[in-house]
Amino acid sequence: MAKVKDTPVQKPRIGVYGFTGCAGDQLILIHTEDEILNLFAAADIRSFVMASSNPPEGDLDVAFVEGSISTEEEREHIQEIRKRAKILVAIGNCAVSGGPQAMFANDGSFAKRLRDVYGEVKFITDPIEAAPIDAHVTVDYYLPGCPIDSQQAFALISRLLHGADPEPSLHPVCHECKLHENRCLLLDKKLCFGPLTKGGCGSACPNHGLPCVGCWGPQADGNFRQHFELLQSFGLSKEEVFRRIKNYGGHKILEFIKDI
Amino acid sequence: MSKKESIHIEPLARVEGHGGIKVDIKGGKVTDVKVDILEGPRLFETFVIGKTPEEDLSLVPRICAICNLSHKFASLRALEKCLGVNIPEVTQEYRHLMHHGEMIESHSLHVFFLALPDFFGYDNAVAMAAEHGEVVKKALQLKKFGNKVMRTMGGRMVHGENPILGGFGRLPSRETLLELKAEAEELLPFAMQTIDILAGLDIPDHMERETQFLCMKPPHDGYDYYGDIILTSDGKEHSVEDYKKVIVERVVGHSFAKRSTYLGKPFTVGAIARVLLLGKRFKGKAAEAYKKLVNPRWYKNPLYNNFAQAIEMVFSLEGIIETVDKILQMETPAIAKPTRQSGSGTGGVEAPRGTLIHHYEIKDGKTAAADYITPTAMFLDDVEAFIWKSGETLLQRRQTENLELQFEIIARSYDPCISCSAHLVTVNYLDSED
Repeated sequence: MAKVKDTPVQKPRIGVYGFTGCAGDQLILIHTEDEILNLFAAADIRSFVMASSNPPEGDLDVAFVEGSISTEEEREHIQEIRKRAKILVAIGNCAVSGGPQAMFANDGSFAKRLRDVYGEVKFITDPIEAAPIDAHVTVDYYLPGCPIDSQQAFALISRLLHGADPEPSLHPVCHECKLHENRCLLLDKKLCFGPLTKGGCGSACPNHGLPCVGCWGPQADGNFRQHFELLQSFGLSKEEVFRRIKNYGGHKILEFIKDI
Repeated sequence: MSKKESIHIEPLARVEGHGGIKVDIKGGKVTDVKVDILEGPRLFETFVIGKTPEEDLSLVPRICAICNLSHKFASLRALEKCLGVNIPEVTQEYRHLMHHGEMIESHSLHVFFLALPDFFGYDNAVAMAAEHGEVVKKALQLKKFGNKVMRTMGGRMVHGENPILGGFGRLPSRETLLELKAEAEELLPFAMQTIDILAGLDIPDHMERETQFLCMKPPHDGYDYYGDIILTSDGKEHSVEDYKKVIVERVVGHSFAKRSTYLGKPFTVGAIARVLLLGKRFKGKAAEAYKKLVNPRWYKNPLYNNFAQAIEMVFSLEGIIETVDKILQMETPAIAKPTRQSGSGTGGVEAPRGTLIHHYEIKDGKTAAADYITPTAMFLDDVEAFIWKSGETLLQRRQTENLELQFEIIARSYDPCISCSAHLVTVNYLDSED
């Protein structure tokens, strides 16, 4: 048997970056005190804007990126990060789909809305319509959520640190809602997006008797047509249902509803 | 030797957001100060148009994860005015509980992890832990407790849907409430110990200048974090519905956050403004803390904002104890319903870092217009003015070493919330050849 060489293991180099959003996803990482200490012990944190100072930027094994790309400066910055990172993970709904600021994706209203809020102003960097990370660079993994859930986040992070492929989560919110033995809100004819929404939040809203608003983004194998028909049978208009699912679906929802 | 001409700090460290400070110095004098907000535009005011109040309430916490419940609270206050929703007193108490939780969480993060390392001369709280381990450990416990209260009332720690128009989706059990009360009682001595730690610190004076203060006046004679009247340090009171006459906003090219003035001049909001304008109303331990810490320099020095936050941590811990006692005496509330489908209204609350205003116009159950003014959009002019003054004084005193750290400490004392924090600082010295 070959002799095992006694070489020191190099810790994976990690960067955490934030673009336009509410900072909630980075905040979820910060607020998990026990895990974050383990993370700092297991990885070489090169850049984590919310948690450590004076990072040496440079080549990265994994870059975690929060937020949508909403200015020219941000577009250049994400391209620069992509060049340095072997693996790039989009964390949170803004990075995955564009976030709430992308709810009007592709409807041509951005310039007008920008003018309505700011008037005619030339900014230091040109604003662009909010887009998910993958509109500008290749993304290797997606961690959905608004905000992300710490259990899902650390499951993905620990797999990446050990060189394993993270498995996509295939359950909709309904799955988690059933585990909590909640009464189905659809039985009471309430507008709930649980069947169409990626799980991971632990059915946070239905646990409080409140409908799922879809903030984890579309579940790829959801039966969108059938569910929209069900919601319309409750007396909701197609326009209202579409408007609501776009609140958090950003760019990603468009492909699921284009033929409906 | 070439002269330092322009100081550029970007990204700004240990603040919640992506921003930077540029200070221009020519001939030994400050000629320009700009706090840049580099975070992209989100246009929240445009995307609630045509939405129902419940959609608004779901969306607006996403303006900022750190103050997510203050945004929810401001929105609820505005929307309930619009739609004639009269919530029972006990629902108001549950909202106070949620708001106290957010204050404790945000203030403890800021005081212990963002600001105290500056006062003690460390790069961060972890480095501080070696010598002040017990303080850091207790501070973590305090922050976790704030989070727990937020999670209990919000439904999850960030962007919880539980607070709804007229009430809450689900209320905590009696056992949970008693648990929160017991934990608040346990943490109160540490909050008072923090007051003593701060009382022993020397605070620099190089930025001192007169400014104005603004906060919401509570609708009772105690201290609180909400109200329908805007109180200003010139002794004037203004209805919150007239907020646009009081807080005059403008847009600047170097920031996606708007700027504000009162009577054409910068003003301070946040814990220091509240404590200076309302602090005589404190009772109990908070009144003790107020007596120990407040002095005339507070009116000129933004660094005392961290001291004011520490007093508010005491107030909010006592507030939780008192609120739980009140709630336990009261009936479980029903969810209050709207009495009309159209109307307009303005909700004023105090977010951890200052006054937060949400204004709505609702027509036939849908939002026709919305306006939000956040604390950071109010105090950025003030930050620039204090940095300018600091630069002038330090140059006069020929203390030109590490100016950028002093400027950063000033900006950090406001706890600016630009949404996405930057702990890393890069400094560019642009040297002039002449």
